[in-house]
Amino acid sequence: MATTEPPERPEPEGDALTGPIPDPDAAPTAAELAHARRFAELVDKTLAGRAPPAISADDRALLEVATVIRATHGSASLAPSRQRQAIDQALRSPAAPGPASTREVPPRRRWRLAPWLVSGASGLVAAAAIALWLRAPAPVGPRRAAPPPEWTSRPADSLVGPIARDHAGDAGARIDALFADRLDGFRARRLARGGTP
Amino acid sequence: MKAVIAVLWLGLAATAWACSVERDASAPSATRIAEPTDVIDQHLMIALGQAKNFHHKAKVYMTDGNLAAAQAAVREILSLRFPRGAAEADDVRNDARALLAKLLMSQRQLDEAMRTVDEGLAQSQRASFFVANLYTVQGEIHEARAAALDASGEPGKAAAIDERHAAIASYDRSIQINAKLQTAIAEDR
Repeated sequence: MATTEPPERPEPEGDALTGPIPDPDAAPTAAELAHARRFAELVDKTLAGRAPPAISADDRALLEVATVIRATHGSASLAPSRQRQAIDQALRSPAAPGPASTREVPPRRRWRLAPWLVSGASGLVAAAAIALWLRAPAPVGPRRAAPPPEWTSRPADSLVGPIARDHAGDAGARIDALFADRLDGFRARRLARGGTP
Repeated sequence: MKAVIAVLWLGLAATAWACSVERDASAPSATRIAEPTDVIDQHLMIALGQAKNFHHKAKVYMTDGNLAAAQAAVREILSLRFPRGAAEADDVRNDARALLAKLLMSQRQLDEAMRTVDEGLAQSQRASFFVANLYTVQGEIHEARAAALDASGEPGKAAAIDERHAAIASYDRSIQINAKLQTAIAEDR
């Protein structure tokens, strides 16, 4: 029984990325086979760490896709030396999250100083307020001219004058005069203040 | 961290206290006009009015011949409360003492009269015509004592002379005070 070979299809127009998608049952063309072999060699060299220094943009895109597909299938793994190095570095770090998290220390140090700065500023403000309160001069109220002598309490000498011997016991008459005089002053002051005592 | 929070709260509390504490209530207010404390006020007028009434009461008792009641009325004046620093207080009390001493003299209570005058002189804060009047009354008491000693006979002659000398000294003191005060008042005018 003779097997039927799929019909050879013509060379597609454009490159592999931008050209039309071939039928899955269609046989590859000679150019596609050559490109596949060349790309397989490129993948092998890249995985072996011998990637060529310059490759085309299409090959680079295909190579990245191939690398991602290989990694998602679990085929990618670190070399034993790289694994040990990563484990040792993680164990030396005191913080559980790892080296990347311990690099966030400088910002945290800045925030640790904030309470000290706030408390220090508050203390300075309090000290300044107390110092100002203690050293502030007594408020000086507006001074009014001295009240007239008639309004003030004062000795009765100028009112009574020298007391003659014959009138040494006339205290009643003198207290009447003194009371009348002081009452005049008291009333004058009260009237000047609008009736308030 | 607790220490930091404590310091922070302490500073805030001190600030709040310094801002909210009130000044001394006796400090003069900046918005209140200052008043001299020696103006004539109701308390002084009340004290003077009471002294006046006690004098009138004593005068009525004296008119009736009730000298003991008159003395009691005058003594009430000595216990009146005047405003602190009122210059009239000394004058009123000294004048009351002069009248009281005269009443005591009229009842032959010379020692009590002299004690009343001496207390007034000792308590006086300044020289005044009322103090001079007390010295005048003191001189009268010395004269009364001299007269009493003269009346007692020959043994009291020497003491009577001393009393008269004391009376002269009291009158001189009264004259000196009056002269000094009159000069001062004349200069003020």
